[in-house]
Amino acid sequence: MSRMKFYCDDYRCIDCNGCVVACKEAHEIPVGVNRRRVITINEGIEGKQKSLSVACMHCSDAPCQKVCPTDCFYIRTDGIVLHDKDKCIGCGYCLYACPFGAPQFGHEGIFGVKGVMDKCTFCAGGPDETLSENEFEHYGQNRIAEGKIPMCASMCSTKALIAGDASEVDKIYEYRTAKRGDNTSLKPYGWEAYNNGK
Amino acid sequence: MANTLGYGGMTNHLGDMQNSKVILIMGANPAVNHPVGMQHILKGKENGAKIISIDPRYTKTSAHADLFARIRTGTDIAFLYGMIRYIVKNNLHDKQYLDERVFDWESIVVEAEQYTPDVVANVCGCTAEKFLEVVKLFAENSPGCLIWNQGWTQHTIGTSNTRLGPIMQMFLGNIGKVGGGCNILRGHDNVQGASDMANLSDILPGYYPINEGSWKYYSGQWQVDYEWLKGRFKTKDMMEKKGFALSTWPWGVIDDENAANNAGTPLKALICIGNGISTITMTHKTKEALDKLDLVVFIDPYVNDAAVITDRTDNMFLLPAASQVESSGSVAATNRSYQWRSQVVKPLYEAKEDHEILFEFAKRLGFYEEFTRSLKNGKPSYEWPEDATREFNRAVKTIGLQGVTPERMKRQQENWALFDPLTLRGSGVVEGEYYGLPWPCWSDKHPGTPIMYRTDVSVMEGGMGFRAGWTDKGPDGKPVVVAEKNGQTLLAVNEPAGSRFKGGHLEITADNIESFGITLTAEEKEKVKGKNWKNDNTYILVNKALEAGLCPYGNGKARARAWDWADQLPKHREPLHSFRQDLVAKYPTFEDKKDHYRTNIRYASEQNKQNWVADFPINVVTGRIVEHMGTGTETRASKYLAELAGEMYAHIHPTLAKKYGVDNGDMIWVHGTGEGKIKVKAVYSYSVAETDIFMPQNFSGLWSGKSLVDKYPKGTAPYALGENSNQVTSYGYDIVTACPETKCTLVRIEKA
Ligand code: SF4
Ligand code: SF4
Repeated sequence: MSRMKFYCDDYRCIDCNGCVVACKEAHEIPVGVNRRRVITINEGIEGKQKSLSVACMHCSDAPCQKVCPTDCFYIRTDGIVLHDKDKCIGCGYCLYACPFGAPQFGHEGIFGVKGVMDKCTFCAGGPDETLSENEFEHYGQNRIAEGKIPMCASMCSTKALIAGDASEVDKIYEYRTAKRGDNTSLKPYGWEAYNNGK
Repeated sequence: MANTLGYGGMTNHLGDMQNSKVILIMGANPAVNHPVGMQHILKGKENGAKIISIDPRYTKTSAHADLFARIRTGTDIAFLYGMIRYIVKNNLHDKQYLDERVFDWESIVVEAEQYTPDVVANVCGCTAEKFLEVVKLFAENSPGCLIWNQGWTQHTIGTSNTRLGPIMQMFLGNIGKVGGGCNILRGHDNVQGASDMANLSDILPGYYPINEGSWKYYSGQWQVDYEWLKGRFKTKDMMEKKGFALSTWPWGVIDDENAANNAGTPLKALICIGNGISTITMTHKTKEALDKLDLVVFIDPYVNDAAVITDRTDNMFLLPAASQVESSGSVAATNRSYQWRSQVVKPLYEAKEDHEILFEFAKRLGFYEEFTRSLKNGKPSYEWPEDATREFNRAVKTIGLQGVTPERMKRQQENWALFDPLTLRGSGVVEGEYYGLPWPCWSDKHPGTPIMYRTDVSVMEGGMGFRAGWTDKGPDGKPVVVAEKNGQTLLAVNEPAGSRFKGGHLEITADNIESFGITLTAEEKEKVKGKNWKNDNTYILVNKALEAGLCPYGNGKARARAWDWADQLPKHREPLHSFRQDLVAKYPTFEDKKDHYRTNIRYASEQNKQNWVADFPINVVTGRIVEHMGTGTETRASKYLAELAGEMYAHIHPTLAKKYGVDNGDMIWVHGTGEGKIKVKAVYSYSVAETDIFMPQNFSGLWSGKSLVDKYPKGTAPYALGENSNQVTSYGYDIVTACPETKCTLVRIEKA
């Protein structure tokens, strides 16, 4: 079985924040908690401005899980990294371990009563009964259980953000890079590439 | 556009941009204003198209362009003429296309002569090398698509921009071509529909001119007596006179001299239905007008920001209107496609749908029966919204809305998946239709016209030439349709594929139809006697023309020269408040214009009043930000959007900021050339030129440093409030449409 993955195509992302709002609306997330964010670097600098939408990357070898003292994280067989808010003690270790700043510690409500971590669930709910009210209250919608892809990707204006089975995501990526014909697939996907302006 | 090609609509469609080889975006920022539309541009880029962005700012769209050129606001005409000059000099123009389809293109070549690369560089403020890079990339790749929106229209010379754009495209043979065209992106859904339905003061629905003939035609369509209709107006002259424009009405309230243009009275009451009037230039004048009126009514789902700006304490009413999800009916997209929208929920609380509010007005004003007669069309009652759609199917023949029936739209709504996004062509149950039946859709058998002015397909597949109904002043001073001007023909030399008549022809009338090899029976002749394609209720003329492969409006030439305009050929003219005082003498603005949309408008006298740039040394660019829509009235009431973009700001280049000792995040005062001033946060940005500041147009609720939050009715204040940038935008209106000059404005700033 393949793993679920996000991919944000930096050649397409236009920093419209549609994904961010889609996520917040779908899960009724309080203001101040950001499961997804759009980062723009080199704003206004010709040839160097790039935007990218980031959330939890659902790492294969998730550092957050490694450092959690209460072992509240679990990785589903499809690779989605989830956590149990009832076990979380809010120590914040995962935030320091995560390379993407995905874990959120808000100040209000069940999503982030000070001390409880909230993060992107790949729209797959959490350990509570699937599609129950409790699950929605704690973790938001469970679109995966309904056979849908995450809200952010489904609402992305330009289809920069794609989500789903890694092998399918890879096919789309390969298709686009082949069409662009500039060997983007061979270029590093990271800050270095951006700083060189390509 | 309409005065050049025939129709003012976007020629191609968004999906078609995926067929382009080069896309020139000028005066538009689709990544911000049309994020979903941007998807097609980016896919076009993946298909190999080169993207060119020309803008005073390095925008989110520019960030995705292959080539960016920064030009000074309001200098597009110099740039375009420079392009045309280069194209002709290097023999890159499509001479056959021009000869066959464009009237008096030769004069454009003469006019373009003065715009050498060095002149372009001087006027536009880009380098000659950059200019040449742009023109080469655009002219040497085909097909090329041109995109613009408000960056071109909101100028004193806006209409010249929107004429020269299509003219430049015709030099390259790019109009009437897959992957080409002039793609004007509309500001939000149903802007196209609103203008089709004449939410404008100078036309009747379907762009029929407001003259006696059209009023008589419409009294027939509405099934009311013409004399009765005339009796609703103060005089027949007023019935046939352009009204105030959205931009000019405040002057009808506050400047007594305009009363003479308005049947002797200043404006006394305002009903504003679904319009963010606080985004028009010089908002402090809008406030003054609102304060002075006898009666003000706002009809909106949210509290209109203008209602908060005014100081009036009485005779102002806010009527809650239903939002788009609480109403239903047809909505026209940017590309002239009509789509059916269903009601998702019934209007909440006391909100009512717009038409119900209008019907209630009509009842109380005593003409409900007349108002709804043609909706019933002989039946005892009417069905909303279907019968309203049927009414325009019958009436609006000019742009071919006959085929856009509720039945077809609903069937399309149920079968979205059966349409191809690149061609809009349907299959299965919707075979033989293009998505949204883009107008002109000449009959219920016609598929619609996804790409206008194509002659490589037949009229029944969406083909057509340019307009043939150009008018000139007849001997009695009234306009008459002419077939030639200055000894040159106005009729095309080619024809759409499959046309039984070869060459160009005038619009189809009962008198000339038989000269095109079409025969009518004696009975048909009797029925259409004295009629033409746009007033024949039997549709015999249109249907017979279609059968013969002829376009009902004729087959004419586009016109490079608009002989009835102040500038027959587009001309660069410096803005009223020019950043380049040294160029004003060479490129002066128009003479002052009396009674322009009932308002006496200053041009030369405003431009020459003083050396503006000496006192107001900073150029301003305003525009939308992606999180907010229009005035932001709706979006600033969303907590998530307010979280993302909750504060008004001015983008300022660090170099300019240093001159004023402004640190990133400092508050600054911005003073306009009028009396308006606003206090905003300075945010450093490299996206603006060192001479400019950029401000979003989407904020309201703060007024010259003071909060107006207490003025919102309890519980209705939006989450995000901010100063309104249009308090400092300058005076100025387009010479033809009176579109406000929001894009060329000077200000001075000081640290707060
Ligand atoms: S929270 Fe961070 S470390 Fe954990 S899976 Fe998500 S991206 Fe990886
Ligand atoms: S919706 Fe798509 S294009 Fe917009 S910011 Fe998110 S990832 Fe980027």
